[in-house]
Amino acid sequence: MLYRTNAKSLFVTAALISWSLLLANVLLAAESMRQESSEGLALPYINNLLIVIFIVSVFGYQRLSADNLKGIDFISYLWNIFAKAGIAAYLSVALYMGYRLVVNYTSVQSPLLLHMVYQVNFGLLVLFLAKAFYIWRQLLLYHKNRFLQIAWDWYELLLFATLLLTLLNFNYSSYIFLPLLILLACYTLFLCTNLKWVAYLTFNKKGRSLVLLLAILLACYIFSDFFYDFADSPALAIDYSDVGFLVLAMFFVSLYTLAAFLVALFSLPTSSVFEQKSEDLLNFQRLSQSIQQGQSETQVYEMLFDSTLRASDASAAWLEVFQGDEPKVWRQLTIEEEQIKRIRHLLLAYNIQNIDYINNNLDRNPGFRDLTLPWKSLIILPIKSKKHLFGVLYLLKDIEQGFDRETVNVLRTFTNQTILTIENLRLVHESLQNERYKEELKIASLVQDSLIPKNFPSDSWFEIATHAKAAKEVGGDFYDFLQLSESRIAIIIGDVSGKGISAAFHMAQMKGIFHGLMQQDMPPSEFMKQANNALGRCLEKTSFITSALYIIDYRMKGFMFARAGHCHTLYYNSMMDDTFYFQTDGLGLGIIRDKSYNNHVREMYYDYNPTDVMVIYTDGIVEARNKENDEYGEERLRYMLTQTYHLEAEDIKCAIINDLEDFTGPTENLYDDQTLLVIKFKPTQPSE
Amino acid sequence: MKITHEIKDTTIIITLDGELDASSSVILDEELSDPEIMTYSKILVDCESLNYISSAGLGVFISHLQRFEDAQIKLIFYNMQDKVRNVFEILGLDLLMTIVSDYEEAMTIADE
Repeated sequence: MLYRTNAKSLFVTAALISWSLLLANVLLAAESMRQESSEGLALPYINNLLIVIFIVSVFGYQRLSADNLKGIDFISYLWNIFAKAGIAAYLSVALYMGYRLVVNYTSVQSPLLLHMVYQVNFGLLVLFLAKAFYIWRQLLLYHKNRFLQIAWDWYELLLFATLLLTLLNFNYSSYIFLPLLILLACYTLFLCTNLKWVAYLTFNKKGRSLVLLLAILLACYIFSDFFYDFADSPALAIDYSDVGFLVLAMFFVSLYTLAAFLVALFSLPTSSVFEQKSEDLLNFQRLSQSIQQGQSETQVYEMLFDSTLRASDASAAWLEVFQGDEPKVWRQLTIEEEQIKRIRHLLLAYNIQNIDYINNNLDRNPGFRDLTLPWKSLIILPIKSKKHLFGVLYLLKDIEQGFDRETVNVLRTFTNQTILTIENLRLVHESLQNERYKEELKIASLVQDSLIPKNFPSDSWFEIATHAKAAKEVGGDFYDFLQLSESRIAIIIGDVSGKGISAAFHMAQMKGIFHGLMQQDMPPSEFMKQANNALGRCLEKTSFITSALYIIDYRMKGFMFARAGHCHTLYYNSMMDDTFYFQTDGLGLGIIRDKSYNNHVREMYYDYNPTDVMVIYTDGIVEARNKENDEYGEERLRYMLTQTYHLEAEDIKCAIINDLEDFTGPTENLYDDQTLLVIKFKPTQPSE
Repeated sequence: MKITHEIKDTTIIITLDGELDASSSVILDEELSDPEIMTYSKILVDCESLNYISSAGLGVFISHLQRFEDAQIKLIFYNMQDKVRNVFEILGLDLLMTIVSDYEEAMTIADE
């Protein structure tokens, strides 16, 4: 940036100094010419050097101050040329007129004054050319490609190379250089065909730019005329029309201005088409961006309605949006409710509802003719995806053949984009819902986790090993224990039907009931009856709970248990060296919700021997499936115990779980919760 | 899961084909909640092709059990696979619901 500022001020200084020196030199030459009547300049090479320095400084300065194109506000660039450069031309005219007036009134020939005016006009010309040259460059390179950029860079280089001719005092119009200059002019011609920016002007802007372009053309003419008049004038000591660079630059500026003027003029009639297309594009963009902007479906429909109306130039329209199965007229334009009803009635009779339909000559159809509608064309655009009908758009026009193929294509693209947008909006919404659901599940599984005891009491007379693995969605397995007295412990296992939040909730209820009722120390069957009674009032109709309660008394060396629809208890009796399931009756909790439940629960008492093993589990274990969809089953579980009963509780548990995992294979998501408790009674007597 | 029904006089026969899990039990619940079902005197459930029943599926039958009993509509299951029957038995439902071996038996019980 500092470099830029420095370079700019350097250019300004160089331009000012070279111009002043040039003026001094010219005046000096004019004075000597008048006195000695000698032809030519005293020091042509110094003059030429000063000219080149001045031109390069002014062009260099303009080159640095040309900004990059911002947006497509081309009018402001044209205004820039006109205001900053074009004015120079009018100023020079004013100056020359002033000089003529002075000369005419005083009738004094003053070569010095003439030289002065000529010199000032030369400065203004260079300023004008430099400014216009670089602004045209910006516009010419609008939407440039690599080739155009290279072509332009070479052009600029070659143009500045012509300054060498001036520097070395060659006459550019000599036969050697003329073909080269003509080639350069052709190059210019080729560059002047790059007028892409004109297409982006709207009708109004084109009108304004025509005026500005005309003014710039006039400025070009004024300068050309002025310097052409004074070319080879004997009254002047110097002739700037000899500078080939200026001629070429002027040629470029005026040619480009002329080309822009003509293109703008002849594209005036077609500009409305281009405007419509770019507006359609903009609307597409708006539609597709509406998801990121978090817009609602209503806003999307609104956008569709407005965009299609503008794209088709329809005279009447209405949009139906389906809410459930019923279409609801959502927006209407210059059409009565009554007319909509009549048209829909007719369409229903023709059985052309909610399908793509175009009628470009309604009068030819007797049905429509009878409706005496003021419209002559109708198009029906259903907004539907493969699965879902979102709505239907009806557009009407008061002329025949109102919907040509191009318009229909644009309209269809609009409806397709709308479908996409709405479907995406719904997807986004769903995934948000899903996210919320997952969050709830996370909470539920945290609750579930906190309901299961982490540590069992360790005692010398029995050992216990537990395994609990929750399915991906929260299931309803739980277990708990309560020390009833020093020698008695109650262990409960259960499975709540269903999954998710409600299962976790019922688990918590069951835990509360367990702790509440067992404070009163009651036999297991009584607990089941009371629990059923309590749950009957709060479980929803389709929910039930299976449970089994064991009260182990080591002083009596026995346990009492009741089963309420829960999986049978697997047992190893060391005395008989036998493995079996306790086959007891017992109905699940919450299935019958009155006193008759009392007949459905049985209690059993069993004396245990040291090294007996009891396996308590939930259906997630025995109903676990492998790839062939076979269930693990009670038999395999029993077999596992016959192989492992001699191990410690922890090892028995691990053996069973390993075997289960072998059976199911590696699965990420369990189908159901798996809970397994292994209790082994120890031979050692507790110390009292 | 495919649920079909067939009507014979005052008997409706519901055939369950496949696995009755959480999602398909919703369809079964709709079927059983239909007020028209209360106009029959017997509901026979053919379980021959029922490979699996989840707790949600059981819950649907349980929730309608009382209603059918009050209206004196007989609910009879037949042709049940051992695997599925075991699920009913463990839960204690075999004592609450009528489960018979085949269609003939179901019809004779129903006609009693």
